[in-house]
Amino acid sequence: MQGAAGATRAEADATEAQAPTPRATPESAPAMANVEGPRAKTIAVRNLNLFYGDFHAVENVTMTIAPNKVTALIGSSGCGKTTFLRSLNRMHELTAGARVEGEVTLDGQDIYARGVDPVQVRRLVGMVFQSPNPFPTMSIYDNVAAGLNLNGSRVKKAEKDEVVERSLRGAHLWNEVKDRLEKPGSSLSGGQQQRLCIARATAVEPEVLLMDEPCSALDPVATLAIEDLIGELKNRFTIVIVTHNMQQAARASDVTAFFNLEETGKPGRLVEVGETETIFTSPTEKATEDYVSGRFG
Amino acid sequence: MAPVARVEYQEELERLEAGALGGLDLVSASLERTLEAIEHQDVELAQLVIADDDRIDGRYLEVHQSLITLLATQSPVATDLRLISSLLHVLKNVERMGDQCVNICKLIPLTGNDPPADEEMVKLILTMGRQTRTLISQAKRAFAERNVEMARDLVRQDDVVDNLNRECFGLALEIGDDPDRREWAMTMLLAARAIERIGDNSVDIGEQVAFVVTGLFKEFEDASHPDG
Repeated sequence: MQGAAGATRAEADATEAQAPTPRATPESAPAMANVEGPRAKTIAVRNLNLFYGDFHAVENVTMTIAPNKVTALIGSSGCGKTTFLRSLNRMHELTAGARVEGEVTLDGQDIYARGVDPVQVRRLVGMVFQSPNPFPTMSIYDNVAAGLNLNGSRVKKAEKDEVVERSLRGAHLWNEVKDRLEKPGSSLSGGQQQRLCIARATAVEPEVLLMDEPCSALDPVATLAIEDLIGELKNRFTIVIVTHNMQQAARASDVTAFFNLEETGKPGRLVEVGETETIFTSPTEKATEDYVSGRFG
Repeated sequence: MAPVARVEYQEELERLEAGALGGLDLVSASLERTLEAIEHQDVELAQLVIADDDRIDGRYLEVHQSLITLLATQSPVATDLRLISSLLHVLKNVERMGDQCVNICKLIPLTGNDPPADEEMVKLILTMGRQTRTLISQAKRAFAERNVEMARDLVRQDDVVDNLNRECFGLALEIGDDPDRREWAMTMLLAARAIERIGDNSVDIGEQVAFVVTGLFKEFEDASHPDG
């Protein structure tokens, strides 16, 4: 395990070297709200421990998630990868009894610092969920614009039109829906709905996109369409994706992090993180090798 | 987390490794007969070696196809992927080594029934051949045991073969003026060269051992940059 920690730290240092200098101390963190325009950010996680009441779900994770890259989190069910993902935009704490220890920073700004508004964090760090979840009664147009309205700012119609079109184009959905924007979001196919959710998440110009098994409910064609889209979105965002599909991690990510737990009831830990190519050809840790080779459930 | 062994897949992979490495036994047997055919100028035995090369080619095709099927159906990664990639290389080496035996055996009838053989040169070639058979079995063992040190030692063993090949060349240069003897010596040089290549193929297999174990491919010796 020593080796894993070493590798993880080395990875973190390598990425840090290229990361921009933090522009603010945690005390001035609320100033995040003033950052204009989308810009992929570096997420630095230090000694992160996550709990559900007394249950220690994730133990001592330290890693750096690089901007403009797709980082895949893999590992068996219950290893804490989704819990970890949800801690990156302060959704973990929405569960009753949930607790966070350690540090998560976005370009050096602590998202758990006192005075930071979790809603603001979630605007900067968008999430796409496992099952496509468009607002069923809202039109396609309103689904995409929903985030803009929720953010409280009054947006002019022309501006809204522009954002909706840009977001739908960015999600490779515009051509399929441009003539029926007033139809309900639920009228779309599963793959289209997921792309609609991606359009909704990107409409508010976040800096990070978290995706929790975004293709698990989709057929292979829709899956490949989403994977292509992820490859494009990384030019604008930092992307973290949880996936149970090892081939998807291999195809769609640049960096892969493997989480594991020694036995049921024990906390999940980050075993190894590295370039995806390395993880799938010559991983350092035996546990990673066994998992990616399908020798462990 | 309970181990979930992919039993059939693992067994198939082990079977295919045994099949590919077993190809080296076929090559070794083929080389043994080839040496006997050289020693006794046995044209019939040489014909048998040529005909039997179909077995080596058959092994190549069968194991190669099964490895492609594993790639297509089982999505192997990490060590399994490196092993499969290496076995594809090993198979190609096995097929080439078999062809070199065929090349030698095709030369044997050319020298006639009672060639003006130089005893010393024949002795050198037989020694080369026996040393090369040692390389083949060492390459097989190093692969089966994933023993990188044993694989690296193939370079040293191969140097012996290379030196014997150079000695053959020296003898051929001084074979004299008799046209028949010169033609025989030239033919034997081609045979020596073919044996030397079989040795090189064994070293190549050793390099694949290092790749399976370490994940890094590096030639043990770079012929085009011997000092670098």
